[in-house]
Amino acid sequence: MSDGPPLIQMRGVTKAYPGTLAIDAVDFDVRAGEVHALMGENGAGKSTLMKLLAGGFGDYTGGVTVRGAAVRLGTPAAARAAGIAMVHQELSLAEPLSIAENLLAGRLPRAGGWAGRWRLDRRALRDQTRRWLTQVGLDADPYTAVEQLSPHERQLVEIAKALSTEPAVLVMDEPTSALSRREVERLFGLIDGLKRGGLGVVYISHHLPEVFRVADRVTVLRDGRRVASGPIGAFTSEGLVEAMVGRRVADARVCRAREPGAVRLKVSHYSRRGFFHDVSFALREGEILGVSGLAGAGRSELARALCGIDPQESLAAGPRPSIELDGAPYWPTTLDAALRRGLAYLPEDRKNQGLALLNTALQNVRSGRLAIARDRRGDDAGRRGVFDRLAAALQLDPPEPGRPAGQFSGGNQQKVLLAKWLAVDPKVLILDEPTRGVDVGAKQVIHASIAALADTGCSVVVVSSDLPELVALCGRAVVLRRGRVFAELAGDELTEDRVLLAANGERPARAGGAA
Amino acid sequence: MNATTDPTHRSSPTDVAGPRPDRQRKTALVSRVLHRGGLWLMLGGLVLVGLLTSRQFASADNLINILRSVTLLGIVSVGVAFITCGKHYVDLSIPAIMAAAGMAAVSAQGWGPAGMLAAALAVGLGIGAVNGAVVGYLRLNPIIWTLAVSFFLDGFLRWAYAGRQIYPDADTPGGAFFLNLSQAQVGLGGAVLPLPTVVMLAVALAGALLLGGTRFGRKVQLTGADFEVARLSGVRVGRTVMLTFVVSGVCTAIAGVLLTSMNRQATFETGLGYDFNAVTAVVLGGVALNGGRGSVVGVLGGVAVVGVLLNVLQLAGVGSFGQMVVKGLVFIGIVAGTSAFARKVGRE
Repeated sequence: MSDGPPLIQMRGVTKAYPGTLAIDAVDFDVRAGEVHALMGENGAGKSTLMKLLAGGFGDYTGGVTVRGAAVRLGTPAAARAAGIAMVHQELSLAEPLSIAENLLAGRLPRAGGWAGRWRLDRRALRDQTRRWLTQVGLDADPYTAVEQLSPHERQLVEIAKALSTEPAVLVMDEPTSALSRREVERLFGLIDGLKRGGLGVVYISHHLPEVFRVADRVTVLRDGRRVASGPIGAFTSEGLVEAMVGRRVADARVCRAREPGAVRLKVSHYSRRGFFHDVSFALREGEILGVSGLAGAGRSELARALCGIDPQESLAAGPRPSIELDGAPYWPTTLDAALRRGLAYLPEDRKNQGLALLNTALQNVRSGRLAIARDRRGDDAGRRGVFDRLAAALQLDPPEPGRPAGQFSGGNQQKVLLAKWLAVDPKVLILDEPTRGVDVGAKQVIHASIAALADTGCSVVVVSSDLPELVALCGRAVVLRRGRVFAELAGDELTEDRVLLAANGERPARAGGAA
Repeated sequence: MNATTDPTHRSSPTDVAGPRPDRQRKTALVSRVLHRGGLWLMLGGLVLVGLLTSRQFASADNLINILRSVTLLGIVSVGVAFITCGKHYVDLSIPAIMAAAGMAAVSAQGWGPAGMLAAALAVGLGIGAVNGAVVGYLRLNPIIWTLAVSFFLDGFLRWAYAGRQIYPDADTPGGAFFLNLSQAQVGLGGAVLPLPTVVMLAVALAGALLLGGTRFGRKVQLTGADFEVARLSGVRVGRTVMLTFVVSGVCTAIAGVLLTSMNRQATFETGLGYDFNAVTAVVLGGVALNGGRGSVVGVLGGVAVVGVLLNVLQLAGVGSFGQMVVKGLVFIGIVAGTSAFARKVGRE
């Protein structure tokens, strides 16, 4: 680490959305030659802070200095001028184009001479691209199309693209989510090299082992505030988790006391090549089972496969997979077959997967029944009475069946989506992120109705990256890691700390849980 | 976006799609007029223009002319409405299917009336099923694929019949029956109507029931409204899309048979222009080009508008080239209008 003013220093930076402070008076700085990890749960403000660094907001308050001089990061151009470059979580390369064109898009080298303005200097393009690719250790022909590269190679191209702007600070958002373990090691080697070259790196992640491996300092955000910051050596896994999770006033545990009934769904040795392996669990009548894990651990894939949404490919080796539903054999083939057997799946992305936004709320609620209805018009359970009952139970606001789904607020859209699957009257309801992007009020209503549903004997699976939600709702949780069941937590063991540690592949050091 | 804890959800930028309430009400009104009343206003306006500009317009002969000219278009449009409603726009191989159905029927005249109809319907069903399977299951772009099929069929018919027309033979039982199809009159509740018109009414009635009153129709509408949402609602989207092309193929084949009978000859040119006229009528009739909404009654209204418009132009002495220009302009206007509307109410 070097002395002198930090490359970037933010003091008391605040960014408000209507009704909420996404980040609230946050101090953050990066020095030359260090990796500063930024951690926090979903919604803690990491993405907002990063977007602010990238010049995405014109309306933040607070001071930013670059090498001691005050700057205003109001536009992407201002951020670039301040020497900040981004490597985004979702890669943003034009796939059919070559590495070279992606790397130098917007400033393609021109040929010399009078007509050079309109001519591309292909030799210069190749040489410049080579230079940046060498720096990230990618040995590829600059004219290779990006679509022919592996995810890791694409990421290296993305990093090379960021480096080609010759930044002082490189911001990396969850850079390892698409990488294998060996590729992650190579990426860390690259980051170490960049660091030695004097670059400052902001590393956004919630993978604990990675942060301990790569970071020099760490800052933890929670609910938009900086709650911890210091050299990485000053933290333990448990300490970081506690900072991220906080000692919240526990949400009322909605349904811990319930006594589950007979086994409803029994999954044994269930696999899908490349997504999850040898997963076994049992789900009882009236039980709410949580499924947790980091992004890419196979949570949604497991849920979708169980309902026959994605194609079924099992591993050839290993014990024979089997699934039993109420004691009878069940094997998912198509979603409509699964619906007929009483399984239903609420998808995680309500706007693109869950609701037809231009259709009315009533049409959307009816549409869940459509594939399995037996009457000619396909709305046997979709009559107004059902809608009105569900709208009342979920406190839909406004309770207008004729209103297009897209014109409800996010929370109420989610209620319409939940009503769509409640109308199906399932035996097993799998909810994928049931309250993502939903306000607190709607969240409480949705949680209460999930609990009420379980009380009627329906078995519920809650797939969620929202740990407080998981702990509040579920009596038991399965934690997936790299496609395998890493831990099963129940009763007093089911705490946010334990789940987060297990998702990161760590066994708790202390017995009995931390929170 | 970062929107997990947002108590004032009504004003959060991520949560509210669509414009402010007052503007919203205004767009809703405009849309209602456009989608419900606008069509009939347009039809009324055109009739008024016809009455004012031409004495012949209201004559019985002319009205029958209009009816004739829209009958086949009506049959084709009812089928196309299914494809459009399922958000796959149109089957550009419609003219080729009409020609192929007519040629198949005439070629099969040795097999008698039933054989001829069976051959024509089999052609429509078969081509529709191929188009539908490729578009529905393999997810090829419907415009590109059906354009390719229309080129292929056009070439195939020229090659197979060496570029010749073929004629139904009035001396065979099949040929006589076939030629009579377009000429026969049917008494229907006191009125005497041409058989093709009765066929159109039957097709429209069946189409209206299928699209508006069955599970299949609902599935088509949901698939058109949002393909992924339909898939994740348990709808077998591939099969649903395929069936829309089959419905359209069968309707098109029926129209092809009637047109061939009317022309008294089968050629590779039969049905030219029906694809474009049909999609114009369907879109005019309020079936959203971006899928999910539409009714057969609206489609019939759209067909009537196209028919009356062309008739008024003809009576006003506008030649067929000029008519094509006007048709093109109308289509451009509709597409521009509905896209602007869709953007306004569409997702953010």
